[in-house]
Amino acid sequence: MQRKPLTPAPPRKSQYGVDPKYVAMRGAELENITSVGLRELVPDLPDVIYPNGQGPEVVRRATEKALSHVDFSKIKDGATVNILASHHGFTFLGGVPYAEMLRTIKDVVQRETKAKEIRLRAGVGMRFRETEEYIKSHGLDEHFQGKAKGMAPIDAGVPIETELGTLYGLKAAYDADVIIHAHNSDVREVHFHRQVDRAVKPFGMSYARVETRSTYHWNLGPRAANFVARAIFDSPFVQDKFSFSVFAMMSPMGLVGVDADNDLYALNDRVTIDGMKYYGKIITLLSNIDECVVVLDFPCPVPYVFAAGVIYANLVASSKDLDLFDLDNPLPGYTWYTETYYDDRGKPLIPEVPPVNPAIKCVVHNYAWTGYPAAFFAEQTPTIVVGKEQAEHFDRDPMNQQYMKHALLSDNLKSAMNFAYRVSGADKVIIFDGCTGGVNVSVPLADYLKQIAPDVNKRVESVLLPKWLAQRNVDPAMAAMVA
Amino acid sequence: MKTVNVHAHVDMELCSGCVTCEKVCPVFAITVGKKEGKLQVDIDESRCMGCMNCEQRCPEHAISMKPCPPYQLATDVGRFDYNKIEDLCRKAHFHPKQAVCYCTATRAEEVAAALLAGARTPDQIVLATGVGAGCGIECNQTIMRFLQAAGIAYEHPKRSYQWYGRTITAWEVPEELKKSRSVFRFEGDLEVFERVVNAPNPRDNRK
Repeated sequence: MQRKPLTPAPPRKSQYGVDPKYVAMRGAELENITSVGLRELVPDLPDVIYPNGQGPEVVRRATEKALSHVDFSKIKDGATVNILASHHGFTFLGGVPYAEMLRTIKDVVQRETKAKEIRLRAGVGMRFRETEEYIKSHGLDEHFQGKAKGMAPIDAGVPIETELGTLYGLKAAYDADVIIHAHNSDVREVHFHRQVDRAVKPFGMSYARVETRSTYHWNLGPRAANFVARAIFDSPFVQDKFSFSVFAMMSPMGLVGVDADNDLYALNDRVTIDGMKYYGKIITLLSNIDECVVVLDFPCPVPYVFAAGVIYANLVASSKDLDLFDLDNPLPGYTWYTETYYDDRGKPLIPEVPPVNPAIKCVVHNYAWTGYPAAFFAEQTPTIVVGKEQAEHFDRDPMNQQYMKHALLSDNLKSAMNFAYRVSGADKVIIFDGCTGGVNVSVPLADYLKQIAPDVNKRVESVLLPKWLAQRNVDPAMAAMVA
Repeated sequence: MKTVNVHAHVDMELCSGCVTCEKVCPVFAITVGKKEGKLQVDIDESRCMGCMNCEQRCPEHAISMKPCPPYQLATDVGRFDYNKIEDLCRKAHFHPKQAVCYCTATRAEEVAAALLAGARTPDQIVLATGVGAGCGIECNQTIMRFLQAAGIAYEHPKRSYQWYGRTITAWEVPEELKKSRSVFRFEGDLEVFERVVNAPNPRDNRK
């Protein structure tokens, strides 16, 4: 008997998406959609503390416990403290666990030190008001007594002298005596960071100016760019302020726990290992789908919609022939480097440019936001957008004026799906709708994933994971210990 | 090339005169001042290219984007000697046909043409090509690299939060750093860059 579809993450009111009233039907409501539990596919995924039927107090307890091992001595009497956060953490599980982790950090620092002022500074990606929206919806401004604010990469900058010369951070991130780095461990943009210094990345992104982010995406190369964050973090300027890191430790199933450490690189090793072990299996599994129709159905920009705990861009960038975690592959099928290596007729400039995952035969864009340049996705894969309001929303976005030039428009989800089935000939469907604990798919895809999962898991454990760890100089003994 | 279809408008009832909009505008289209003792915000519509930076950062939500008759920010590559265009692109380490802006898909050759047409500052390049008129983030250094390739020195305008400066490229990473940090594959990525920059031009526009 087939399982019922899981409940998708609800649409969210935001200036970056259409009004939820226009999301008339969800992918999970389509005919022939079922769900597969992630544990059915990857049996060794760890237990989660959230969601598990309890409220956010479990996150508070886990954060308190993690912080009990941290040395607070850098926070002197009368010090000002910035807790640095990023928008990504708020996109999990409605943002509830990440918001609770941030609240708890503030409460513990207040209790354990004589800091004068503790502020929340939350960075963004390309949607400059996104964290302001999260701060408001989670009541964080009240909790931080009016000292919570969003930071954007175009805000006032501060030069930081690094091994790579002068780079630029956000003044608001560093305008305190002490900084605390509060992030999350899911692999998310593994097509960009390749699980190299994942835990350090926000120093080159969420807490950085446009010059630094542009250095990452244009100047150093798809793998070398990951040194940008390390260069900033290692700078005397940042080291002088840095106290400790706190991470929401994620698996594709949800929040596994909270980790905290004064040594970011020790924490980074744990994040690297967990990410490759658990997300590595899910991403390898999805990249081995032979053909499919993708439904985008989550309140995030196109590349960031979630299924099985990973983002759509991971599926786009990988394929059965392209392992995202393998650093011997310089270019995934999607990165911002790869995207620019096509000429104005859409042809690759060099033969080494790998294609966008050829298994994706058609994309039905039921609900996804603007605020990220996504035209490349529609240009490379046949795309049907549901609803004229959504199409108009993309036309008005300065980052997406080209999106609808490559996409078709449909009145409703059912018609869009019928068209997608007809033109693609595929009966395997995966829905990126952010449901937790499993993935909503069509019955044929459910059967296919269950069939190939055991071999994929074995290959990751015995062949790929040892290779990935060696490429990152991570001691396999440590990996065994962390696991 | 970018089509501009919205312009910024200020609701003076909400404006507090904080000057954030002026500081985040990448093309210096906004001036905040006083006229006859009253707060005034001037938005030069001939320069506003609809990037929404001001709308996104205004702490009072006083700025909105309103539709305008569409027009294009573009420079005609065909007006210039393609040898010079190609030389400038390669000097900036770009292939002439590669995109140098994700949001507008503007090609490197168009930025080179804008420089040949007389652009001398980042904002002039934005207004001449549309590069940087989308997200306003990621292509920042493509513009700075082109200015350097053209031999143009540019100073950060002190009042602005824009155009702080050029940063390092793969061609300038110290050898010792490359060797000591092999995980980051500096050499391998430089090889990819070189292959792209030196790839044949599929549609050579040379006359």
